[in-house]
Amino acid sequence: MTLMEAKEGEEYIIKDIMTDDEEMEAFLFSLGCYSGEPITVVSRVRGGCVVSIKDGRYNIDTDLAQAISI
Amino acid sequence: MRIAFAGNPNSGKTTMYNALTGRNERVGNWAGVTVERKESLIKKVYYDGGEELVAVDLPGAYSMSPFTSEESITSSYVKNEHPDAIINIVDATNLSRSLFFTTQLLELGVPVVVALNKSDVTEKKQTQIDEKLLSEKLGCPVVKTISTSSGHEGLKEAVAEAAGLKGAGQKAPYVQADINLQDKEAVEAADRKRFEFVNNIVKQVEMRKVFTKDRNVQDKIDSVITHKIIGIPIFALVIFLVFYISQTTLGTWIADWLVAWIETFQGWAGGMMESANPLLYAILVDGIIGGVGAVVGFLPLVMVMYFLIALLEDCGYMARATVVLDPIFKRVGLSGKSVIPMVIGTGCAIPGVMASRTIRNERERRTTAMLTPFMPCGAKIPVIALFAGAFFADAWWVSATMYLVGILLVLLGALLVKRITGQKYRKSFFIIELPEYKLPSLKRACVSMLERGKAYIIKAGTIILVCNTVVQIMQSFNWQFQLVEEGAESTSILAGIAHPISILFIPLGFGVWQLAAAAVTGFIAKENVVGTLAVVYGVTNLIDTEELALVGSGNEVATIMGLTKVAALAYLMFNLYTPPCFAALGAMNSEMKSGKWLLGGICLQLATGYTVAFFVYQIGTLITTGSLGTAFVPGLIAVLVFAAIIIWRIRKSDKEFASTYSLHAA
Repeated sequence: MTLMEAKEGEEYIIKDIMTDDEEMEAFLFSLGCYSGEPITVVSRVRGGCVVSIKDGRYNIDTDLAQAISI
Repeated sequence: MRIAFAGNPNSGKTTMYNALTGRNERVGNWAGVTVERKESLIKKVYYDGGEELVAVDLPGAYSMSPFTSEESITSSYVKNEHPDAIINIVDATNLSRSLFFTTQLLELGVPVVVALNKSDVTEKKQTQIDEKLLSEKLGCPVVKTISTSSGHEGLKEAVAEAAGLKGAGQKAPYVQADINLQDKEAVEAADRKRFEFVNNIVKQVEMRKVFTKDRNVQDKIDSVITHKIIGIPIFALVIFLVFYISQTTLGTWIADWLVAWIETFQGWAGGMMESANPLLYAILVDGIIGGVGAVVGFLPLVMVMYFLIALLEDCGYMARATVVLDPIFKRVGLSGKSVIPMVIGTGCAIPGVMASRTIRNERERRTTAMLTPFMPCGAKIPVIALFAGAFFADAWWVSATMYLVGILLVLLGALLVKRITGQKYRKSFFIIELPEYKLPSLKRACVSMLERGKAYIIKAGTIILVCNTVVQIMQSFNWQFQLVEEGAESTSILAGIAHPISILFIPLGFGVWQLAAAAVTGFIAKENVVGTLAVVYGVTNLIDTEELALVGSGNEVATIMGLTKVAALAYLMFNLYTPPCFAALGAMNSEMKSGKWLLGGICLQLATGYTVAFFVYQIGTLITTGSLGTAFVPGLIAVLVFAAIIIWRIRKSDKEFASTYSLHAA
């Protein structure tokens, strides 16, 4: 499933980043968002959700949430 | 020796840089405030040695491989410019991410000192970091710092460590294996190893009691502020309050008081020069003191606004505002990140346009740079306040409407650009770091306010002063270089130059040479509109219209200009939504990096200003008097020509799009 279906507050392990945008993939990597790493959806907000990756909080939009499979 | 400041975005590099050098560079609580390299000498208080130390502040980066153009400034600087040392500012609250970049910096061979910044925040969260062990593991000095506090804990130590390491070189604790950098998989495997190495260190040095993934108070605030329904009203309210306080209440009250002082001074200076040459009197008293005074009188409005914007930037709201507006901005082909340039643009369009650099998509970046000037900037506040005061009895809705129309024009402009560039739906991933909220620093807001106030006064004393003097001289002489006689003002050089331009403005309701001259000087600096009006109409008290009413002259400014309320509104809007000052156009040029885009942008702005003013004047006149305003047909033709050009451009790009994606060869 993708991050869109994730339960709030539960930690998941990223399986894959499904995008052909290599730069975006590399950028997410530098934040610690890549397969095998944990990710938590903290809450859902307007147009996307708030996620916790390593010790940072990020807001990502629905498009990106759908590209992250867990 | 030069010490480079590098680290992740929003780790506090510029705050530390400002503390060490005494500069006042823009800081804010979101990722991507600094978009340029800055250099300055470190103050002697922070360093005992005799050598001069230069601090180099760099934009934040998450890694050595750049993602946006400002990140590439950082990686190319530390790689190619050979700084003597690097102070790597590490956000101690996010060690596990920050050290990835740290290990990359350590491989460059340049001595590195790690500054564990925000250590006050980690203490509050009861996170313990063993900096001695960390220093051992990384093979470089580690200093705990707090750059926001007035004590600047650790800054002196960090500088001393960096200075002591000059020429020492750096041994890397982790060296990437020799791989083919073109091979994506090999690079990723190497980066994974690097993160593993970092994770191992973090496990050993960090003891956490509060985990980031758990919901905390901050998340509760976020769930209200970025709420699906009330998020936008909250944003609107916040912005409204900023402008209401600065331009209708507090700011105006202080301005009234200041204007009284300026007038007293002008009266005193006039008294001293009573017997002087009338020309000299006109230039000095009316032109310089009157014109510059008119501009300076509005200073309190601008300063109060800068104070409030600084509070807003500091508390962490900006990142949330991008989240709230992203869905709307996406629909018109921009991203939530375009919000930050626009909010900064309400202070000054130049840093606003520059802030668009953090937008990765080229088309979105150029469009943002093109549209940011539609947000009325600090220099336009005097113009708004002048017209709100002279024609609308300081009604609160005037300035609010100007910002609202600005936002609408941004959205509309973005839609047009989207259609013209033929950009169809495309996935544009949006991700933004949400910094922790913090109590905004009043001291920093004051410093920011005073700094901008100083810049405003300097501008008034230089560019505005020169312009006003030139305008006054051009108005005092006719083409034969003789003094213009009273009653024959339209024979002056100024009138001669401005008259042909003013013909274009007849359909907009303000086709007189005085107003045309003011609009033109506005391109040099928007404050000039006020300064020039003060000079050409010989009025100085442009703010306190109430006082004027008491004196018995009624609404003097409005009477002198001879404009209807509707025409005045049209003139105000024309000045707000035409191209910005030349300096802002320069900033647009350097962010767009395309002559075609710049030209398109200027044409769009000219057409927008003209069209908005035309409709406001003609429709307004129709409503208020029951008949159309002057020269409706020529104006309509002009507007239709603009529309035709835009439609032609859209058609052309649609065709291009269709042919690009067509399966059949043309």
